[in-house]
Amino acid sequence: MKLTALLLAAAVCYAAGPVKLLNVSYDPTRELYQNINAAFAKQWKAKTGADVVVNQSHGGSGSQARSVIDGLQADVVTLALAYDIDAIAEKTGLLPKNWQSRFPDNSSPYTSTIVFLVRKGNPKRIKDWNDLVRPGISIITPNPKTSGGARWNYLAAWGYALRQNNNDESKAKDFVARLYKNVPVLDSGARGATTTFVQRGIGDVLLAWENEAFLAVNELGKDKLELVVPSISILAEPPVAVVDNVAARHGTATVAKAYLDFIYSPEGQEIAAKNYYRPRSKEVAAKYDKQFPHLTLFTVDEVFGGWQKAQKKHFDEGGTFDQIYQPGR
Amino acid sequence: MRQGAVLKMSLRKIRIGLALMVVMPLAPTLARAQSADQKIQQLEQKVDELDQRVKVAERKKELDDADAAAKAQNAASVTADTGGFNIKSNDGNFLLKIGADLQVDNRAYLGDGAANGSDSILLRRVRPTFSGTVYKYVDYFFRPDFGQGATVIYDAYLELKYEPAAKVRVGKFKPPVGLERLQSDDDTSFVERGMPTLLVPSRDIGYQISGDLIPKRVNYSAGVFNGVADNGLSDAAVSGHRDYAARLFLTPFNGTSVKALRGLGFGSGISGGGVDGEPLPAYKTVGQATFFTFASGVTEAGHRTRLTPQGYYYVGPFGLLTEYTLTEEGLKKGLMQRDIAFRAWQVAGTYILTGEAKGFTSPTPKKPFDPRNNGWGAVELAVRVGDFSAEKGIYNYGFASAATTPRHAHEWVGGVNWYLNRLVRISVDYGNTNFGGGAAAGNRLPERVLLTRFQINFI
Repeated sequence: MKLTALLLAAAVCYAAGPVKLLNVSYDPTRELYQNINAAFAKQWKAKTGADVVVNQSHGGSGSQARSVIDGLQADVVTLALAYDIDAIAEKTGLLPKNWQSRFPDNSSPYTSTIVFLVRKGNPKRIKDWNDLVRPGISIITPNPKTSGGARWNYLAAWGYALRQNNNDESKAKDFVARLYKNVPVLDSGARGATTTFVQRGIGDVLLAWENEAFLAVNELGKDKLELVVPSISILAEPPVAVVDNVAARHGTATVAKAYLDFIYSPEGQEIAAKNYYRPRSKEVAAKYDKQFPHLTLFTVDEVFGGWQKAQKKHFDEGGTFDQIYQPGR
Repeated sequence: MRQGAVLKMSLRKIRIGLALMVVMPLAPTLARAQSADQKIQQLEQKVDELDQRVKVAERKKELDDADAAAKAQNAASVTADTGGFNIKSNDGNFLLKIGADLQVDNRAYLGDGAANGSDSILLRRVRPTFSGTVYKYVDYFFRPDFGQGATVIYDAYLELKYEPAAKVRVGKFKPPVGLERLQSDDDTSFVERGMPTLLVPSRDIGYQISGDLIPKRVNYSAGVFNGVADNGLSDAAVSGHRDYAARLFLTPFNGTSVKALRGLGFGSGISGGGVDGEPLPAYKTVGQATFFTFASGVTEAGHRTRLTPQGYYYVGPFGLLTEYTLTEEGLKKGLMQRDIAFRAWQVAGTYILTGEAKGFTSPTPKKPFDPRNNGWGAVELAVRVGDFSAEKGIYNYGFASAATTPRHAHEWVGGVNWYLNRLVRISVDYGNTNFGGGAAAGNRLPERVLLTRFQINFI
């Protein structure tokens, strides 16, 4: 059956020229998917004889989800968090609500976490989350309303504060409020926040995806930036999904699924690890074990009861983020 | 031992004293140096703080600008121009057009037949129009009329245009039968339409599929409707019968290199269906005076069919439109039931003196009305000859009275249209209609009427 589908796909591709996929992704995955796309195209060509071109679109995860809801023709979405794909499924019906069960590991082929990026020498001596709320510390983090990474940042801080205060929600809220009081500007996405911190030289510390922090250190040089690993952080699980109705309309359903399957393959996992995403594959994870710092990680499900609850409580209109952060304050 | 200790103490005091003597004069200098370093440090710190504030302000402005640009890109556009007043979403998928059609007419009946109608100045049409698109593929159109003291919904439909060759329209609109009827009232070359239009439906409620079988050259329409009387409109069906209508129209040279024939179009409309008790029509002259009415007790019964071969030819400023309509009405009075044929034809020619190209829609003046800048709009001459007749049996079977209702009418109309600009037009028509029958002795007196119209139309 699979062979027939592949043959059919190949025949269609041969007749109509290269198959085009649109992968709508979040902000810091540009480099990851450039590598994934090239490797997948090569593999697909070898397997079927057909050419495939995967186009990329990047932005804040929330903004990207909104674009798909508004009609951006994504064959696949690879966003920062499950809630954003849930929103697409609920508001458009373009993919089923059980989309997360269709690929292994809750459709999350790699993970990451939130760490700190500071100036070389760590002049403000930032070691852990509690250092961020000190007066005079300037923190760069994007806007949780538009950025998936920002929501992970926020929840990581909240989770830390809960642990420090015996799960006292009001103290956690106060902690996060103090943290955001030290945030001078909110970018719309993680890559924009990195630019603000690294290139514009604004702020003392960047709350960043682990992969983004590694990339910044490697690109700008270890003599300018340092990565600080807090005592505890959140396990970020960016999910992927085929947008069924769009892919069906484009005739790309088979290749779209193959594309996401490829990320789970040993080659795809290796590429993820090389781009500083924590691979799900135990073999690849073992191979890259030394690359990733070891720290205590908690999940959204454990601390917040899942993304639906976390979103409603913290990031929806009038949620705790709106209560603690006033723009231009 | 004690003396030694005292001596040690004394020496220590002497050393401290000497040290103080040396250091004391230098103390202010050292303090000043330390203070300067601190000040420099403080200044550096302040400069850093200010630098951060400036950078943050700049970044915020960049983000605000990017946000504003994104919002502007997605913002709907509002336009007001010769195309009317439009609100359009950035992606073009949503559109609201607000338009209007206002016609102020004067009718003056002349000569011996002046008693046929009453001179008047009237609001012939007052039609606000709301039209546009939702979700890219669905058009809507709503146009009521408040003219002549009545409120009537003329058009109210939606059209699914996903497939241009098979657009589906649902609602109340013009059935695809008569050529001149399908022409918008602001595009017709005369104040009032010609005689073939008397015999085709005006608006009907139903479903229609239409499109171009060959883009811009072969157009078809087909639909099913409630069925209305000739030149009539209705908001509900009177009987369970339905009218089926279809039209095929060809413009075979449209877009070709044969310039002389690009404006040639021809085709035919047809409709048919059962009738049972529907209201009977009353036919009107160019002066809008009723000249033909059925006798009391007559009803529609049986079938009604219409056939309308039609065509036009436009080349440069010249235009010709011709149409023939044959309608067979099933009529009943008491036990008498017969099919009666009504026929009408017209030939209308136009010529634009100012040289603009004539077409099925109104011309756009090369120089809109603006005398200070030598702009006078476009001027068009128009002539029409038309004829209407009902078969003789209409009297024989008692369906109409020969003493009051002519079964034959022949008209000619001459007119001038002054297009001040694309939206505003002033027209003057003189119409003459002669009748066959319709008087106690001989023929009804001819109608001679002078019609003027001031019109603004934008949609």
